Amino acid sequence: MTWQLFSLLVQASGMTILISTISILVGLGVAILLSAARLSHLRVLHGFTALFISFFRGVPLLVQLLLLFNLLPALGISLSGFATAIIGLSLCTAAYQAENLRGGFDAVPKGLIESADMAGFSPAQTFLRIRIPIALRLTFPALVNEAILILKASSLVSVVGVIELTRMAQNLSASTFMPVEIFASAGLIYLVINQVVAAIGRYAERRLPGMGQAAR
Amino acid sequence: MNFDIGVILAKGPQILSGLGVTVLIWIAGTFLAAALGFVIATARHYGGPLIGAVLAIPVEVLRGTPFLVQIFLLYFGGPYIGITLDPIPAGLLGLSVYGAAYYAEIFRAGYQSVPPGHVEAADCLGFSRGQTVLRILLPEMALIVLPPSVNMAIILLKETALLSLITVPEMTLTVQAIGSQQYAFLESLVVLALVYWALVELAGTLGRLAERYFSRYRLALK
Amino acid sequence: MTRPTPAISVVNVSKSFGQTEVLHDISLDIPAGQVSCLIGPSGSGKSTLLRCIAFLEETTSGRILIEGQPLGFSEQDSGYRARQSRAQTRAVRANIGMVFQQFNLWPHMTALGNVSAALKVVRKLPKAEAEARAMAQLTKVGLAERAHHYPSQLSGGQQQRVAIARALALEPKIMLFDEPTSALDPELTGEVLTVMRTLAAEGMTMVVVTHEIGFAASVGTQINFLDQGRLLFSGPPEEVFRKPRPQRLEQFLDTYIDRGASMLA
Repeated sequence: MTWQLFSLLVQASGMTILISTISILVGLGVAILLSAARLSHLRVLHGFTALFISFFRGVPLLVQLLLLFNLLPALGISLSGFATAIIGLSLCTAAYQAENLRGGFDAVPKGLIESADMAGFSPAQTFLRIRIPIALRLTFPALVNEAILILKASSLVSVVGVIELTRMAQNLSASTFMPVEIFASAGLIYLVINQVVAAIGRYAERRLPGMGQAAR
Repeated sequence: MNFDIGVILAKGPQILSGLGVTVLIWIAGTFLAAALGFVIATARHYGGPLIGAVLAIPVEVLRGTPFLVQIFLLYFGGPYIGITLDPIPAGLLGLSVYGAAYYAEIFRAGYQSVPPGHVEAADCLGFSRGQTVLRILLPEMALIVLPPSVNMAIILLKETALLSLITVPEMTLTVQAIGSQQYAFLESLVVLALVYWALVELAGTLGRLAERYFSRYRLALK
Repeated sequence: MTRPTPAISVVNVSKSFGQTEVLHDISLDIPAGQVSCLIGPSGSGKSTLLRCIAFLEETTSGRILIEGQPLGFSEQDSGYRARQSRAQTRAVRANIGMVFQQFNLWPHMTALGNVSAALKVVRKLPKAEAEARAMAQLTKVGLAERAHHYPSQLSGGQQQRVAIARALALEPKIMLFDEPTSALDPELTGEVLTVMRTLAAEGMTMVVVTHEIGFAASVGTQINFLDQGRLLFSGPPEEVFRKPRPQRLEQFLDTYIDRGASMLA
């Protein structure tokens, strides 16, 4: 195991971080839309979100990604592997994040909504300014946890041809015949990234204003 | 677009054999993972700070790295360090060890959730240490660890799909192979997704039934 | 001679939760500038009545008029009650500020953020102007130097004063107080009651659900006694606290006599 091989792995981990970060954020956006749909008065939307969440939590991510990579071309949509990987990871994490957020939205005290009502906020303003910020704070630890899960799950996009950390490790392993060193190094890099994310999460959690009260 | 799911369904017996391997590896792997996790958690709980610190390392490493990397290391790297395993044993071992790390955390939380007063009360009443563990600690823990354990079992069910990548002839590998043979790859993936979905929903329903059953038991305890 | 329109009119209001009737045919006029106190044992319906006045609860029948305008429902000629549009409800509600028992400050905003939020979001004032107005209200309740604290960093009494400032910032004609001191430690009630006294002295129309009989007796100009969903008595404090009193009111006041004894002499 040379320094050169290791630096190739570190470079590839940039792709892992990039894909994971974009997917977490896009997934969060979709999860908020799903939450809005669930809080709306339209029954159709309730059914749709329930089905969406059940499917993306019920099917292995590997199968979801393979399905997406074969489905999009069949529908005449041609996207890069990178874009398709992000769509796949985003949809999957959105389902999990929506479940996390559900707990957060349910935990927003009713009185905070009433005080927004009395202050003249419209339902949309209440959702954007009161419900979302409080629900996000309440579920912030779950979001950090989900970020770590997605960082690990992003290894699956190697299967559909995106050159990220795991795929680079596979390629190097095949060409150097040093699978032990290379996969162990890849594992170490994942471990370090995840520890860093967890540490940032703990730091940010302490810095989030008003956490103590929101938790009441 | 030509979409014919029938050509996949016609291979029913083959799909069932893949399903059988998936379910067997899943159930065996979950039991082994839970058992190993319980041993680790117990050792960490009673073993003092040194054992606790030493055992924390593999748990954190396994929880901090992707399952895919772990099984690649085991299956492709294993022969270089004297561990040569066929796909099925390798898959079973990989799944069990991976799951054990998560179950160790679940049981650790379980141990911590039992109020010390309950154990002290048993001590005062003259229970031996073994009796305290068997009659007080474990029954109380069981109620607490059940929901996360069910959840973890479902995660492991989905993780078995990754074993197709080290050529374990489970459902994902089998159905994809049928798809290639029949030139119906998309169809095969749709069938695959639906079967997993049904399986996960079924496992989830069973888990909820078990939780309801045990929560009745908890009420009776009060 | 025409009488001026009352700030609040409650007309034949009843309210049921399922089979349970919590308000029974209540009619009450609250003229502008009055400090109207709702007293009564817990479960008497006084908080529900206040919440109906704010349209946080829907009445089962009857009407609520704010400054002569119906709130929540508009009466049709046929007698059928039609739900108002949100915009109508919001327009009528703009006359009302509300202070809750649990303060209900938004935990993710500072005191200044809480007070200025509606000015920015609802009234669309520029940030600087909204914050200047908010600061003025915080100064009024004596919390200017706490403007940048989050609710979790404030005592209960301070939180409630911020909540009052938040309601006042929208310049309502009427202030509703739902047991504003019940969630506070006894030593913190004084600071909140002082702010409320100042407000009353300025001529604000106030409706106060309270257990503070002393406050009701000294600041209240209209005392309403509710029991089991019925308005048993309504009148100026001199009448309420003059003996002999109706038996139910006598029993109720007896339980509170230690808290406001000097006022009731």
